[in-house]
Amino acid sequence: MNSTNKAAKKKKFDKTAFAFIAPAFLLFTLFIIVPTVSSVYYSFTSWDGISPNVKFIGLANYKEIFTSDRFGNAMKNTIILTVFISIFENSIALALALIVDNVRWGKNFFRSAFYIPVLISGIVSGFIWKIMYNYNFGTFNAVLDNLGLEAWKQDWLGNSALTLIMIGVVLIWKGAGYYMIIYLASLQSVSQDLIEAAQIDGASPWQRFKSITVPLISGAFTINFTLSLINGLKVFDQINVMTDGGPGFTSETLVYLLYKVGFNEGRQGFGTAVGIMLLFIIIVLNTIQQKFLRSREVQM
Amino acid sequence: MKKKVLAVLLTSAMIVATLSGCGGKEESAPADSGTETDTSQESQADDAQAESTQGETEAAAEDAGGIVSAPTELTFIFADGDEGAKSSMNEIVNRFNEAYPDITVTIEPGNGGAYSEFIKTKDSVGEFPDVMEMRDTAMYVRAGKLEPLSDEIVSLFRTTTAFDGKVYTVPLGGENTNGIIYNKTYFDENGWTEPATYDEFIALCQAIADKGDMAPLVVGGQDIWHMGFWFHKAYNDQVLSKDADFIKHCYEGTKDFSDETFKATFEELQTIMQYAQEGWVSTPDAQITTFLVNDMAAMMYSGTHMFSQISQADPEFEMGWFAIPSPDGKTRLVGGGGIGGLAISAEVAKDPDKKAAAEAFIKFFYEPENYKVYCETLSAIPSTVETPDLDVMDVFQEVIDANAAADDLAPMWNGRVGENELPPDFRNFTYKTLIEVLQGTRDIDSACDELNKTWQVSMQSFNPITGVGIE
Repeated sequence: MNSTNKAAKKKKFDKTAFAFIAPAFLLFTLFIIVPTVSSVYYSFTSWDGISPNVKFIGLANYKEIFTSDRFGNAMKNTIILTVFISIFENSIALALALIVDNVRWGKNFFRSAFYIPVLISGIVSGFIWKIMYNYNFGTFNAVLDNLGLEAWKQDWLGNSALTLIMIGVVLIWKGAGYYMIIYLASLQSVSQDLIEAAQIDGASPWQRFKSITVPLISGAFTINFTLSLINGLKVFDQINVMTDGGPGFTSETLVYLLYKVGFNEGRQGFGTAVGIMLLFIIIVLNTIQQKFLRSREVQM
Repeated sequence: MKKKVLAVLLTSAMIVATLSGCGGKEESAPADSGTETDTSQESQADDAQAESTQGETEAAAEDAGGIVSAPTELTFIFADGDEGAKSSMNEIVNRFNEAYPDITVTIEPGNGGAYSEFIKTKDSVGEFPDVMEMRDTAMYVRAGKLEPLSDEIVSLFRTTTAFDGKVYTVPLGGENTNGIIYNKTYFDENGWTEPATYDEFIALCQAIADKGDMAPLVVGGQDIWHMGFWFHKAYNDQVLSKDADFIKHCYEGTKDFSDETFKATFEELQTIMQYAQEGWVSTPDAQITTFLVNDMAAMMYSGTHMFSQISQADPEFEMGWFAIPSPDGKTRLVGGGGIGGLAISAEVAKDPDKKAAAEAFIKFFYEPENYKVYCETLSAIPSTVETPDLDVMDVFQEVIDANAAADDLAPMWNGRVGENELPPDFRNFTYKTLIEVLQGTRDIDSACDELNKTWQVSMQSFNPITGVGIE
């Protein structure tokens, strides 16, 4: 019996499958797993990123993280940006998906039009919006000028109260189309029989949407909120291009702080510790979010 | 069966494509071809210079045989964000390669916008250049990445910066002297003259603001290094004028950033910055020329590198230049040899041929006929003992004269070494805090407290007095 089991196990080892998996596994291990594990070690050092001497400093980097105003400010900015884009990106994406799902003509046109911003790189979209936001030469202030609304003109990226929102707007513009596709796929899988039955029973459009559509697309909510949470926590491109974390520290997020201290200010050890903290934050928030959203999903 | 074959072929193609992305050292092009064409056209246009270069090339070629024992290749990287830097460096490298047939210097694109990060990335992937423009000198010297330069090379310069008695970089030019570049036509039309005192400067700004047709000053506040120009001016006026070793004293704990002189730095900048254009916080440095040549601002505060940019943007623009006097009446300028410049890697020095070739290249670069190309193109103040005969704009000559007459000529506050060297992250932190103060989101006392806190943290990993972080 024992030998039969062993033979069965041996038989299960599929060389062809292994050959297909091995290259990806090796590359993933080499470029993702090894750097991730080694970064844990570097987070306990004062390494500057260049010197061959790597000095172990124990928990000093983590102590600085918990006492530094700069980390606290980056954490606050990250949370504001993530909450802002998670809510608005998903609301707008759902609205767009409902529009595309219900229009009688031009369905493909609208789907493509709303998706186009997703195809533009973060750097390029950052540059485009930065030009539009420009105080003296930008589109927004020019439009306000032409409408006689000079008083409404703003230094969109220079005003500390507006900077994060303006960056959030760009992220929403760029990301909503992607989430729309996921909502749309989910909407199209909702059985028309249920909708029609509710209609016959006298349910209003809002009641049908709230009581039938929303529960049935809750899987899409879970996916989209998870993705927008992760994307919000690791946003980099647009901040790099549009504000460089400024004015002052107004738009410095955790990822941007990691980059600035690690690569710009010669504190790779501290930057890596910030990265490790970010990893834990993502794991914790994602776990909470998954628990909450999964409990609301409806299985058909 | 067909499907299997197709699947195998597609998978192989994917693997090859993936692995090709992880390829080794990229093949480096000699010099970017567009620039090569530009420089050759420039050379043709200047017959006299071409003849002189030809003579020098022939003379150098006669000596070339003795420098290396076998054909030698060198990689060279510089901050090529500026078109002038790109064209002049290409020109000099082309001349060198012609003069020394056994040595080939290859320029690798240097990603000028984020040059410091670029060099770090090159180092981390094992492609640290043989010869380079070095900016973060102290950090690389401590990491053992740079080779001390020979006395013969060092003696070519008026001033150099030494680390423990050894010189690792030679300045590409005198430190970039900042001053006010202004619209001369506009000044003449309104009967305004260059201010002789700090108070006159503020009065001039007020007069322009009162006239109301353009902003008195254009400031590229989005680039924090541009804010560094302004910060250094006020810091020099208020802090360094009273204590040249302020940073050293902060390391020792006898002073801190709540010092009245440091607070006065913020106050001076608050006074000046009220005359900046609207939207200055989000204006990049690259845009300030547009403001000046389009009559949107009367003055800018920047370095001599702006002269050529302004001339290119509007050849008809008539510009003037003056240094802003300090409140105590003295003229303090950024100038002299700085910490950055050309350097040779420690790795290349292990190969005698490469070391000899690298030293020959540096010496060739600073020969007056070649160095002239760099200085004229970038409006750089020559740093060599034997200075080239420059054909420069009047306004640039004014800067050279001002350097000679200045009461104080020193590098930027963040360009100092030894006991006054800043911790690596402190400069940017200061500039960002300054922007918060100027925007009114933080008051001066709170800014000073934040700087003190950050200073304490920075000192734990870097303190030249105790030796922490520099051993």
